[in-house]
Formats: sequence, structure tokens, C-alpha cells
Amino acid sequence: MNQTTQKDAVRTAAKPHMSASPHLRNRLTTGKVMLEVLLSLLPAAVVGVWVNGFHAFLVIAVCMLSSVATEAIFCLVTRKPTTVTDGSAAVTGLLLALCLPASVPLYVPFLGGVFAILVVKCLFGGLGKNFMNPALAARCFLLISFGSVMTRYTVDGVSCATPLADLAAGRPVDIMQAFWGFSNDVIGGSVAGMLIGGIYLWLVGGITLHIPVSVLASFTLFVGLFGGHGFDPAYLFAHLCSGGIVMGAVFMATDPVTSPTNAFGHVVYGCIIGILSGIFRVFGSATDSVSYAIITANLVVPIIDEYCIPRPYGLRSGAQEGKKKGIVLPKEAVILGVITLIAGICLSGVYAVTKEPIARQQQAASLASYQEVCPGADRFDYDDDLSAAVEALDGGVYGTGFGKAYINEVVVGTAGDQIVGYVVSVTSGDGVEGDITLSVGISADGTVTGIAFTELNETPGMGSLCGEPAFKDQFVGVKTDRFDLSGSGLVIDGASEATGTADTASGATGTADTASGATGTADAASGATGTADAATGATTSSDTAKSVTVMTGSSTEIDGVSGATKSSRAVVNAINAALDFFRTYKKGGM
Amino acid sequence: MKKLTFKGGVYPPEGKELARDIPFRDCPPGDELIYPLSQHIGKPAKPVVAKGDRVLAGQRIAEADGFVSAHIFCSVSGRVKALENRPDVFGINVPCIVVENDGLYEKAEGVGVPADCTALTPQEILAKIRDAGIIGAGGAGFPTHVKLAPKNPDAVEFLMANGAECEPYITCDDQLMRTKADEIVAGMELMLRLLPNAQGIIVIEENKPEAIAAVSAACAGKERVRVQVVATKYPQGGERSIISALTGRYLKPGMLPADVGCIVENVGTVRNIYRAVCFNEPVTERTFTVSGDGVKSPCNLIVKTGTPFVKALEAAGGFADGDAPEKLLCGGPMMGISMPGLSAGICKNNNALTVLRRDAVAAAQEKQTACIRCGRCSQVCPLGLVPQMMADAAKKHDYARYEKKLYGLDCIACGCCTFVCPAKRPLMQTFKQTKAEIMAIKRKEAAK
Repeated sequence: MNQTTQKDAVRTAAKPHMSASPHLRNRLTTGKVMLEVLLSLLPAAVVGVWVNGFHAFLVIAVCMLSSVATEAIFCLVTRKPTTVTDGSAAVTGLLLALCLPASVPLYVPFLGGVFAILVVKCLFGGLGKNFMNPALAARCFLLISFGSVMTRYTVDGVSCATPLADLAAGRPVDIMQAFWGFSNDVIGGSVAGMLIGGIYLWLVGGITLHIPVSVLASFTLFVGLFGGHGFDPAYLFAHLCSGGIVMGAVFMATDPVTSPTNAFGHVVYGCIIGILSGIFRVFGSATDSVSYAIITANLVVPIIDEYCIPRPYGLRSGAQEGKKKGIVLPKEAVILGVITLIAGICLSGVYAVTKEPIARQQQAASLASYQEVCPGADRFDYDDDLSAAVEALDGGVYGTGFGKAYINEVVVGTAGDQIVGYVVSVTSGDGVEGDITLSVGISADGTVTGIAFTELNETPGMGSLCGEPAFKDQFVGVKTDRFDLSGSGLVIDGASEATGTADTASGATGTADTASGATGTADAASGATGTADAATGATTSSDTAKSVTVMTGSSTEIDGVSGATKSSRAVVNAINAALDFFRTYKKGGM
Repeated sequence: MKKLTFKGGVYPPEGKELARDIPFRDCPPGDELIYPLSQHIGKPAKPVVAKGDRVLAGQRIAEADGFVSAHIFCSVSGRVKALENRPDVFGINVPCIVVENDGLYEKAEGVGVPADCTALTPQEILAKIRDAGIIGAGGAGFPTHVKLAPKNPDAVEFLMANGAECEPYITCDDQLMRTKADEIVAGMELMLRLLPNAQGIIVIEENKPEAIAAVSAACAGKERVRVQVVATKYPQGGERSIISALTGRYLKPGMLPADVGCIVENVGTVRNIYRAVCFNEPVTERTFTVSGDGVKSPCNLIVKTGTPFVKALEAAGGFADGDAPEKLLCGGPMMGISMPGLSAGICKNNNALTVLRRDAVAAAQEKQTACIRCGRCSQVCPLGLVPQMMADAAKKHDYARYEKKLYGLDCIACGCCTFVCPAKRPLMQTFKQTKAEIMAIKRKEAAK
């Protein structure tokens, strides 16, 4: 052995490290990846704080702190090396905060952060092991647990509907406001901010475009095909600028841990999210369609990953033939198109198959409601004159002063050969969550014999209270030209009780009490209870009364619950329309 | 000229500025030269000398054992000191021939004598290549006479001289192309005589403008040889990367380049072919780079095979001042082998000694986190594999999945996935271990 040479080497290089190649590593670390995501969320966060004020900043701070603290404490308790330095908990916290309304009490972001990190992430093995996006899972948890505060959106202290709610109700949406983030939405509602952040993240290599593009493209295509407004750009942009579809597509769906790992899988996964979001928006509850779509898609990621393992380049078709000339269609785009097409065909098929049964069911529902509102009749027939009058309306809005009221049909209820009464089916297009259709029973002398709803999708616990007997029964037995809605906040017992069963219980009841104490201008004589009955009774006995005041189920101005007043007004307008129609067109028999 | 490239790949810091403009100088080989019997892929060579024999420069001291094997030649004159086990670059003791240098550099008869090569038949050219002990000079060391004798020489469309030199720090191919462009082109023309339907392409990464200019000038007026510039990206110099960059063709698992009509040879090999055929020179020296931030004066050397690594280091002025360097690499930092010492002899396929002050691997280990499934590893894999899933299967010892579903055995060990991984997972290490385990199981099964 040549000892001198060996000694030389040993003397100078004390003890060289041994390891497998490669001996270089790039600078990117998990911490830097997370930092890039934080930076990219900054524009949207800044707009959110600017628009919503200091409280929004507090929500963000609490959310991030509780997320990071939860992970730190978890690591401490389980005696694992702390993992908070990788920054993933901070990212989860910020993402969660950005999809909360700005007005939530601070315990909401706190609990959300704890749930996201502890339940969704740490208990499933920490970074890289969670099977659902922690921020979205926490948002859904908060929605279920704190429904009222999670759906209360205020701008300058005034509560109002989100662009998405406006969209669902068929109201116009200010697209530009929603795009820049000035409409009342979640803190991270600025589509512009999200897009800027997304572009930054794409440029630094944090995300690829496969997921965002396939989500947005398939969603747009779906809404265009099935949204009922075709490919009207205003309608499509309104959809794209509301309900967090852009935030979902760019930041939530692209979470690497809960998305597939390769390009083809990304496209499949993106299309699933886009189409599910579309289904939930168009056919289901519009709110949170994106959240549910993404966490649902998260669940199928392992399957996508397993079936979309890319083949080595050498095993792909034409690999040995080399470069082809001519236009090569991007494969992903073709796949995307095919998937959307198949989904579209399937859904059209479902519609076609279910169309008849649904129509039959609706007919049966109508008949049942006719019997309900016109007791005593054993059959219902069309009256030629009245039907002709309905035809003449040609499906347009009926009269003036009734809002968007439509007369659907009028039938005559008979028992034997005796006319018992009439039923007018009327629809109001002014509902908060869609159309309200009801049947109004009217006796030959013009007295309301009952009302029944055949279509009522109003917000649970709010507008839906219109369907409660306490509200409906106020109309029964009254003969009047016109019902009016009490605007003063006189709260009747029945509606309060109904409110008591809803989950907004304490808040609504509390304010109702205050309200009843403050009233008195409307009906000083009546107490807090039994007001409606007393009032109704009084008016019924007086044939001279031209107008009857009806109380709302709950009043917006006081308890801040939006929609209920709107719903009540829509119903009252519809009933007035029915009465007006009856008076105008019924000939004889009076 | 249009730049071409392959799918995937990474951009490690090049570090080529350290040595790229330093012209070749001769490296004094020292008193003792060590020739491992296995410097190539295939069977180790059989010694044809005994202890005490006098040997001359260019004399065959070990001969090929079978077709896939290569002769080994002495690079100095002197006496055979021993036939014994000496540590190789891994630090493992392997059979070597040890020659004591007498400092006379007396050449064996006929070595370096110009020969008329215009009338040689393809078979004669191949025989000369085989007789000169030429193996791939780029790293793998595949015997060249085997590569140049595909089943159907007429089907070869492209003969590529690989001057990409994508490995960081290494610059000896660059210098070779700058200084010996005409010999490389002449070598290409010789090889093209074996492959009647092929066009010769010398492939150079765009970060070597001087080499591109020199080789382009040498190609002027040549009908069958041209230069192709490719993008600077690692591992552009990989055989498969070069083929897909130039032709868009990708090899199936188990395929050889000739199966898609391509043959790739390192530019050093091409020059060796020229020297062997036209000057009867066997492979007794090679171009070599000593570089890295742990070397005092990085340089390019002409090294006699068998010279211990430590002599190359001495020729480069020794280690840089300051702390002892943490990494000694045979080759470059992406695919090089970390060496426990510098006593091994430089083989025909060793192209560099890279000395790194800091060990990035150890530093990365401290920053390791769980896999975040970001998918960067599969984005950069030049073969289109899914390293993240491979690592998962390896962890579960699911070898069937590793091999059949994920094609893990196809991995070329370029290390892109490991370089790029933000979670700093030791992927390459896992794959090397897993491959070794699977091969061991296969050998066991075959033995049954």
C-alpha cells in the first residue's frame, strides 16, 4: 500500500462525507413553498382588510395564530419535533380566514384554526397526510356549527345578500364590484386579488395551470349548459366572480397534499370539481358549492392518483416514432372536453327521464293544495272565462303593485253541482331563494278560504317561516281587497314561536322581545300575544275594512336577518294579485 | 440555430466558470499507478502480466474477457509491482494491477505510429477500436466496439457525439472540443463508415460558445457531420435525453438507443477512436477536470490512466485554504460518487474530481419534512417516472408495484427528483437501495 499518498489525502480531507448522489440540492424547501403561497394570498387579504376593516384583520390574525399554536402544542404534547417552521399551518390559517365572512365573532376563526389543524391535519399524520383540504374542511365544520354567523354578510354594518345569493335569486350582480372584491362576500372575496396571487404562484412554479384552468373551464361550460341562461357572458362572469370559485380553483383545489400528483390527474380532478360546483350551484344550494365540491373531490384523489399513474415517456404511444408534424391538440383539453360532454349528456338524460315524474308529482301536489285551500270541494274544473283570462296574460307579470306576480291557473271547486269556491295558483318571482308558488282559495264572495304553498324554497329559519300556519292562518277567513304587510315590527306570537324552533333561536327571540316592547304605534290596544288573532278577528267582522294588516314572520330591520321581509312581502303580493284577478275576471255568482 | 431539449430536467448551478477557460496541462502520474481490472460495463479484464514484469506505455496488461469487456493498457513504463486488491472510488477493495513508474515513459512498439486508415473495412475499424480498449469516456464505460456493432448497422439514422457535458463543474469535454475539434470530426467520419445510413451530429449545450464555434468550423464542408446546439439543462448529456432532444424519440424500458436508430458516443470516446484507428494509440490517458470550491486552482488535465486521484488534486494545487472540504467526488456533483479517500486510480471512464467545501446533502437532511405531494419530482424526471410514488412503494417494500407499475428499475439515477424536492427527501438513495434489493432477489431466484 502506498501509505504516504493515503496519509496525504487523509490529512487534508479530515473525514469526507459519504452519501448517494446527487450531491447538490436546490434552494427550495417546504418552508419556501409555503411562504410563496402566503405571499400569493397577500393581495386578496389586503383588499379584504381594506374593504371590511380592522375586524377582518383580527379574523385573519386569530385564524393564523390558532392554527400555528394548535400545531405547536400538538407537537409538544405528542413529543414530536415541531413542524410549525414549515409554514403549512400558517397557510392553512390564512386560507381559512380568507373564506370566512368578515363579521364573524373571533371565536369562529379560533375554533376553525383548531379544527383544521388538530382534527383534519395532525390527527391524520400531519403534513402531507391529510386527505382533505384542512381550511375547507374547517370552513364546512364552521358552517354546520355556526350557520347564522357564517352566513351573515355585512357591509358598513348593513347586512345584505352575497353576490351569489343575488345570482341565485335572479337579481343582477355588479360583476365589477365582485371582481375587485368590494361586494359583501368572504374576506378573500376579491377575484382580482386571487388572480394576481395565482399568477404569481404560477410564475414561481408553486402551481401548474392544469387544475385552475380545468376547474374554471368545466364549471363555466357546465353553468353555461345547465344554468338556464345559456352562454350569456354577464351571467357566466357573475358566476365566476362570486361564491369563491376562483379562490377554490386557484388556491384550494391546488393544495398539493390533497390533489393528484400529475398533470393528467390534475385535469380529471379539476373537471370533477368544476362540474360538482356547477351541479351544486345550479341544482342544489348555491352557497358553498365550491367548498363542498373540492372536499368531495379530495376524497377521490387516491383513486385518481392510482388510475392516472403516468406511463414513462418511452411507453406512450408513438414514443419511438419521434416528433410529429402538424397541429397537435393538447391532450388535456381534449380529455376535458370529452368529460364535460359526457357529464352533460348524462345530466340531460337524467332531466329527460325525471321530467315526466316530476311534472306528475307537481300536478299531484297542486291538487292536494287545492283541496287544502278550498275545503268541501270534491272536484276541480277549469272555468272557460277565467282560463281565457289567464291565457290572455300570456305568462307575463300580473297587474301593477304586486311585484313580480304571475297567475298560473284558476280552477273552480265544486261539490256535487254546487260551486264551493275558486282556487288561484299564483307565483311570485320576488322570493329570496327562488320562486314562491302558492294556491289561494277564495270563496264565491271573495273571502280567503286558505292558502297553501306548492313551491317555497326560502332560507330555512327565515323566509321559510312564511309556510308556518302562524303566518298563513292570518289570511284565512278574511274578506278584503288588499292585505298589507306591517312594517313597524309588530311581532305576533305565532311567528315568534316558529322562530324559536329555528337555529337562530336566541338572537331572533331576543330581538323580538325588545321589538315588542318598542311597538305600540301600530296597535296599542293589543298585547304582545294574541295580537294577530285579535286584529284578524276585528277586521273580519268589519266588512267595511278595505285593508287588512298582516304581520311578518320576523322583521329584518330589527334582528338583522335579511330575506324574511322580502319573502313575506312576496307572499302578500301574490295573494293580493290572486284576489285582484278574482275580482276583476270573475263574472256572476257574486 | 434552433435549440432543442428534452422533457423534464433541472437547472443546477453550473460552476463551470471555475475551470472552463483553463487549457489542458499534463498531470504528473507519480510513482505508482493503479489499474482496476473492471473499468467498464461487462466482465472484468484478465491480467496478462505477472508481478515483476517490465511493462511499457501502451502495452496491454489485461485483456478483454469475452465480447462485452475491454482491454486495459499500461500508461507508463515500469515494473508490475503487484496484482492485488486496492480500494476503488467507493473505497471497496477490488482486483487491480499496480505498476511502479520508472519515469522513462518508454512506449511499446507501434504505439502512436500514424496508420493509413482510408482503406480500412468496417470490420477492421471495429477491430482497431476493440484492440485499443475503448470504452465510453462519459461515465458508464460501455465497451465501444459493442455499441458500434448493432444488429442492423443500416438502420442507424443518427450517430451523435455527446458534447453536452451537462454535469456541473466539469469542463474537460468543453476544452477537448475547443482544442481537438478536427480530431473529433475525423473520428465521427470514421464511425460513419460503419453506419452507412446515419448522419453524424455533434451535440453541444449552448453554454459552450467557444466549443460550438470550434467544432462548427471543423465541420465546415463535411457532408455527413454537423453541430446541433441544445439547451443548457441537466441531464442533457444523458443518452436518452440527447436522443429525445434531437429526434423526439423515447426508449421503452429495456430498449437500446440503436433500437430507435440512434448511437450516442461521448466526444472523448470519438476522439479516442480517431487516435486508435489512425495512430494505433490505445487508451492510456484521458481528459480530466479537477474543480469545485474546495480546490485551490481548478483546472483541466491530461491524466494518464491509473494515476491516483490525489495526484490530480496535487496538480490542481491541492485543497483550497480553510476548513477541510466535506465532499470528495469522483465525477460531478449530480451523478458523482462520494469517495472516502483519494488513493484510487483514475479509470478510463472517470472524468473529474470535484471537491466541495460544504456537503449540501447533510445540510438538506436537517430541513427534511414529510412529502407534500407537490409533484415536482415527476415534473423533472426525464423519463416520465413518478418518484414520489416509487419512494412510497419502496418504503412499503412493494417491489412488484415498484418494478411493474412504476417502472422503477428504469430510473437512470440522474438525481433530478432529489435535487428539486422541496421536502428534501433522500429519493435517489431510496431508489439505489431498492434497485439493489430487487436485483439481489432476482439473482437469488435465478440461482434456484
